[in-house]
Amino acid sequence: EINLMEELTLKGITQFYAYVEEKAKVHCLNTLFSKLQINQSIIFCNSFNRVELLAKKITELGYSCFYIHSKMQQAHRNRVFHDFRNGACRNLVSSDLFTRGIDIQSVNVVINFDFPKNSETYLHRVGRSGRFGHLGLAINLITYDDRFNLYKVEQELGTEIKPIPPAIDKGLYCA
Amino acid sequence: LQRANPVVQPDTAQQDKIHFIFNNLSNTNLEQKEKDLLATITDAHVPWLQQYVVVKRAAQESNYLSLYCQFVDRLDKKVSQFVKGVIRCTIDNIKILLGEDKVTSSVSLRSLLKNLGSWLGMLTLQKNKPILQRDLDLKQLVIDAYEKGRLIAVVPFIAKVLENVSNSRIFKPPNPWTMLILGLLAEIHPMTDLKLNVKFEVEVLCKNLNKDLKDIKPSCVLKNRTTVKEGNPDWNVRGADSGLGSIK
Repeated sequence: EINLMEELTLKGITQFYAYVEEKAKVHCLNTLFSKLQINQSIIFCNSFNRVELLAKKITELGYSCFYIHSKMQQAHRNRVFHDFRNGACRNLVSSDLFTRGIDIQSVNVVINFDFPKNSETYLHRVGRSGRFGHLGLAINLITYDDRFNLYKVEQELGTEIKPIPPAIDKGLYCA
Repeated sequence: LQRANPVVQPDTAQQDKIHFIFNNLSNTNLEQKEKDLLATITDAHVPWLQQYVVVKRAAQESNYLSLYCQFVDRLDKKVSQFVKGVIRCTIDNIKILLGEDKVTSSVSLRSLLKNLGSWLGMLTLQKNKPILQRDLDLKQLVIDAYEKGRLIAVVPFIAKVLENVSNSRIFKPPNPWTMLILGLLAEIHPMTDLKLNVKFEVEVLCKNLNKDLKDIKPSCVLKNRTTVKEGNPDWNVRGADSGLGSIK
């Protein structure tokens, strides 16, 4: 059986976390979108419910976004993903569906709106396929309840997730 | 970039809104985002905005060039000379990149240059507007690149500028200006020891324009010019680049 984790790498991805309260997460997202230079982004939530709620909320706030989750019909999911890949919208709100990692060159920012429960999920969300990885940012919104998972993921993947600085060097995630 | 008048920067709150607008711009919300943008900036900010669109967006997001082109066309209807300023800014930044020594060794600088090439082509040739010699002399650019060992940066750039010229009523072949530049590339293509990737750029351009390279009359301009092939990134000649010529 192929171990899919071996095909994914975090090389080239600079990972940060922002320590927030649940109710401040959308505000934090707004700040990110006001400060960063985003080509396309994928925003992850931990349940299909939260995906739909978030997508609707941010659409009202003027975001260009589609959403996908496991409760949608496969054909519809594929259509949405295909359109996103072709640039029809800038951001995709998603639950955990990417068994092989994300393979879209123009996604330079991945946001874990909800922090994943385990390392494998984290790697599938943030990791890229190929030996050389991909230039990009991963921003993790961490609540008090997530703090041990953050540490655990860092240790298990042998990676570094730093606190988000006031300004992020564009060279880390823009061409 | 020295300017006679210093560029007026929007304040932090305004820049936040501008970043947000561009981060969420798409084919389906051009009208709304245009409104949002015009409500955020004043006339004084226009030069800053033109620079932002060119340097932060067009140069870096090749997948959204067509979208940004549509957006600046819309803004042009409400902001006097907006596109003209964007074109000027594009040319200024192209010249800056071409002036960088590292452009022959840096993949990322060449990537920016190519994106600006596509962008320039989109804003001018594809809209049947010329690129004036006094603004950017593409013919001289190729000749200088040949002499100075910069074909590796300039040929891909030119290829991007001309890439979609088939869509231009005026500039599609056999337009004389276009054929002049293609003729220069056709003169370069068969030269011995030319790096493979430079050769390929010429071939791919011809394919994009549905022209057979064999049907393009090569110019005779470069035979009177010289270049040093040793240690020159454009050529596969033993020197600084020993061993098999590497394709960078």
